[in-house]
Amino acid sequence: MKLTVNGTAHEVDVEDDMPLLWVLRDELGITGPKYGCGIAQCGACTVHMDGGAVRSCQVAAADIEGEIITIEGLGTPDALHAVQEAWIEHQVAQCGYCQSGQIMAAASFLETNSEPNDADIDTAMSANLCRCGTYPRIRAAVKTAAQKLNGA
Amino acid sequence: MKTRFFIAAAVAGFTGTLAWAASDEITILPPAEGSVSVEQGLVAWGRIYEVASHPRCSNCHVGDSNRPMWSGPSYGKARPHGMNINAGESRIGAEHIPCATCHVTNKTGGNSGAHMAPQVAAEWQLPPVEFEWNGKSSIEVCNQLRDPERNGDRTCMDIAGHLDHDVILHWAWAPGGGREPAPYSLQEHVNDVLAWGVSGMPCAND
Amino acid sequence: MSKLGKIARRTFLFGSVAIAGGVAFGVYKYKAPVKNPLLNDLADGEAGLTPYVKIDANGITLITPRADSGQGAYHVQAAIIAEELDVELDQVRIDPGMPDKAYYNTALGGDGAPFAPTDDSFGANSTRVVMDALMKFLGMQVTGGSTTVPDGYDKLRIAGAVARETLKAAASQKSGVPVADLKTANGAVQLPDGTAIVYTELAAIAATLDPVKDVTLRDPSQWRLMGKPTQRVDIVAKSTGTLPYGIDFTMDNMVHASVRTNPRRGGEMLSYDASGAEGMRGVQQVLPITGGVAVIADNTWRAIQAVNAIDVEWGAAPYPAEMDGHWQTLSDSFNDDQLDSRQKDEGDVVAALDSGEVIEAEYRAPYLAHAPLEPITAVVHVQDDRVDVWTGTQIPRFLQTNVSDITGMDYDKVFIHVLMMGGSFGHRLEARVVKEAAEIAMAVKGTPVKLTYSREEDMTHNDTRQIAMARGRGTVKNGQVEAYDLGIAMPSVIASQMGRQGLSVPGPDTQIVAGAWEQPLSIPNYRVTGYRAPELGPISSWRSVGASTNGFFHDVFLDELIVAAGADPMEERMRLCWHDPSRKTLETVAEMSNWGSELGPNKGRGVSFCMSFGVAVAEVIEVTNTDAGIRIDNVWVAAEVGKVVDPVNFENMVQGGVIWALGHAMNSEITYSDGMVEQSNYHAFEGMRMYQAPNIMVAGLENGEHIRGMGEPMVPPAAAALSNAIFAATGQRIREMPMNKFIDFV
Repeated sequence: MKLTVNGTAHEVDVEDDMPLLWVLRDELGITGPKYGCGIAQCGACTVHMDGGAVRSCQVAAADIEGEIITIEGLGTPDALHAVQEAWIEHQVAQCGYCQSGQIMAAASFLETNSEPNDADIDTAMSANLCRCGTYPRIRAAVKTAAQKLNGA
Repeated sequence: MKTRFFIAAAVAGFTGTLAWAASDEITILPPAEGSVSVEQGLVAWGRIYEVASHPRCSNCHVGDSNRPMWSGPSYGKARPHGMNINAGESRIGAEHIPCATCHVTNKTGGNSGAHMAPQVAAEWQLPPVEFEWNGKSSIEVCNQLRDPERNGDRTCMDIAGHLDHDVILHWAWAPGGGREPAPYSLQEHVNDVLAWGVSGMPCAND
Repeated sequence: MSKLGKIARRTFLFGSVAIAGGVAFGVYKYKAPVKNPLLNDLADGEAGLTPYVKIDANGITLITPRADSGQGAYHVQAAIIAEELDVELDQVRIDPGMPDKAYYNTALGGDGAPFAPTDDSFGANSTRVVMDALMKFLGMQVTGGSTTVPDGYDKLRIAGAVARETLKAAASQKSGVPVADLKTANGAVQLPDGTAIVYTELAAIAATLDPVKDVTLRDPSQWRLMGKPTQRVDIVAKSTGTLPYGIDFTMDNMVHASVRTNPRRGGEMLSYDASGAEGMRGVQQVLPITGGVAVIADNTWRAIQAVNAIDVEWGAAPYPAEMDGHWQTLSDSFNDDQLDSRQKDEGDVVAALDSGEVIEAEYRAPYLAHAPLEPITAVVHVQDDRVDVWTGTQIPRFLQTNVSDITGMDYDKVFIHVLMMGGSFGHRLEARVVKEAAEIAMAVKGTPVKLTYSREEDMTHNDTRQIAMARGRGTVKNGQVEAYDLGIAMPSVIASQMGRQGLSVPGPDTQIVAGAWEQPLSIPNYRVTGYRAPELGPISSWRSVGASTNGFFHDVFLDELIVAAGADPMEERMRLCWHDPSRKTLETVAEMSNWGSELGPNKGRGVSFCMSFGVAVAEVIEVTNTDAGIRIDNVWVAAEVGKVVDPVNFENMVQGGVIWALGHAMNSEITYSDGMVEQSNYHAFEGMRMYQAPNIMVAGLENGEHIRGMGEPMVPPAAAALSNAIFAATGQRIREMPMNKFIDFV
């Protein structure tokens, strides 16, 4: 089957029900999306598919539609996305394992809500689990990212 | 009137391997007018309410809180859907986090691993807010369902047709992942809706 | 024989270490300074200046032997070295180094001795010195017990300073300029004429010199990096998905494995039928391992799918099958035969209880999983002449022994490569995943094997936090706490954890009473007793270990007595606290939270105090009792750590630790049914999510003499402050966790 990830076309020979997460990690070697739970409980595997955030552990290979963007395609250390800039400014990460997914979720959310308040952020981001408890910094970083994206 | 569709019967559980049951045929054939008494209609309604109040159905038939529920044998105490989920006025989560982030539209209609996000071959969503059943009594739901203002202006034939066409509803009888299916079968439920309709949509408070 | 000599010979008297990963007591003599491990395999031209700094033509490497599980250990260790070495953090590579005895953890030994951290008497300090020597001998390279900063604070600065001064000597030799006229900055020696000689050019000369050992450490007022907000060295990588964790490690020709072992922990595998797995795509081999079965496949997902397709018949668990049996075992442990320690026994508790109206209460704390977000993994590559292991671990030297035992390879031919961890909280103080990976790798010698646990296997095979129960009896008199008698029963964490390493630890386990017995309070009649319950489910060090349960027990019972006395919870704690730096944390948190000011309706404030790992921490929590349940609005934390080395990370850690503590106290437990853990994934064990996270205000105080680590001490007081706040808001006293069994949270 064929899929496009971060602008590059790939062809893989996998089972229809292999989750996108494992296609990315084990077949394509794209390891920014993380395995945390495998059942859509933690959000560490979040990527964008066809413009929206999805849990890549819940997307069967046969259901892949449209281009996939992973954290590596969102921005790079030399060309950061505004959300990544905000994450660095606030030094959000502790272990950092969930943060790829947090950043991908936040980037998607900010496309639909450009001026979120705390309650909006808590509603949008509570599906991403952080065992280190970086939530206060995530809240702050999402607001900073919103300002950056609004050109403030 | 005959239609045909497929029910995804997820069987393999934890391993995530999907298997598919043979196609089920649903027949929408109402009893003859006048053949169902009010008493029989109320008995049919009792079974309909068992389905409507079952977690597979009532968890999503929530009101303007827009918050789906987690309840049923595998959850212990009933609680709102974890993760602070709110489907918003859009009822598809568009305002914050779309339901489809996890409940991905699945062409083959399944996602059978234990505790995984249920998926169907359609966009996952809450029913309209007028269809709030969660926590409501049999009489309340009954009056709601026969009120055109609150049932989407549907006759019982329309309701039966809706049950036929909406694959999220089909999921309730084949939820996979070790979840308890809604009681009876989809066909029996359709038959009950039709019988209740032919008996004049009686409710216990009439 | 000297007093110290006697103590050294009778080390079993010390009991257990402050954290697991722990310690074994030996009778060997500590003789010579440890050899510098970096000198072993240095190429010509490299100068191995100290065990913590390596310089070659390609650059400067700082060796940061304490593992990083997200607590910023690499960054803080690098910053401490760089402060004295005069390098900037973007000029260096950071390498956790290979495990070696030279990286022993002295701070861990210091906290293992049975003296309260507030005890600076000669006896206490001299015993700490003996423990230090033992740690050095035993070569414990362990990350844990909030020891990274205290252990490295002097050691790493000295290492940086020795390196710097030796490089200056080399520059002097090269340039002819006297050392006194040389300065250092930005990784270079600066000559008076403005010329700079970069350290990398001096490596070859420095290698020929004796290290300059007579160094003076800089006064904190001169610090450039320490005590200042700095950008963590890993923050860009962690914000761009470019930092490789253990689970991301890969090699050519690597195969993937997953395992299932008996969910009735410690039980046998009676039989298995792998016919369902063998034909699955990508499956290469199914093999039995200790206590279970493994699948080798060509990718991670296929290995997990296949191992789950195996039918297995599991034997019985060696502990009670249902929770009732676990609680009953604890309940039955409050007796003299199981009395483990009574290190706090002041006044006459028995007489005081006889003479007043006795207030009694019982408290419970459940098993909890560590469940860091990265499941445990290990890559093992067995070759004819060496074995290499890549894994995220806090105990590399134990692993060297374990892998040597399994593979038959000589100990010094086993190489442990420590990788970044996606969280630990104590989870990676265990060896299981590496032992199993080594067993599997022996079946495919020459081929690297990566073992990845499924989340379900990880959560149901967690060596959990201890289950614990406490019973308090006390009296009040004249508006004050008069008698306080707390008994705590739990199985020994150290025995369970060290037992899995084949070590037995004689003597009392101070963790049974940690976070309770050593509180700096002067109650007239005051007793804390530890009762050792028999082993139950396997338990291990869970962030703050014994204190994670005992901080809750000790302070909530204190709060109940203070309420009974009619005293103000803050003022009475201040009055009882005799230790000035500790009392200062209460004063600070009272001021921060505006304690005593009017609260709105349905609101309540609770305060708690706990000293653990030598760190005094006071916390105030403010809650609102809403229609939908309790909402935690604000948390204030004041902690006495001696010196805040990395203020940004300090705040982040404290906030995260409070969220950790509260989330589990509110929402989470691990339970056994039919001998198996019932919670298989985060749907049933989530800790806290963002919507429940309160505002958390943090103050780090620097009044104490000792520098302390802050990985854990914010945890023990948090649940108590919450329980006390809920009582203040509702009148309902919650004595058991998780609290959501008794009250709803928003």
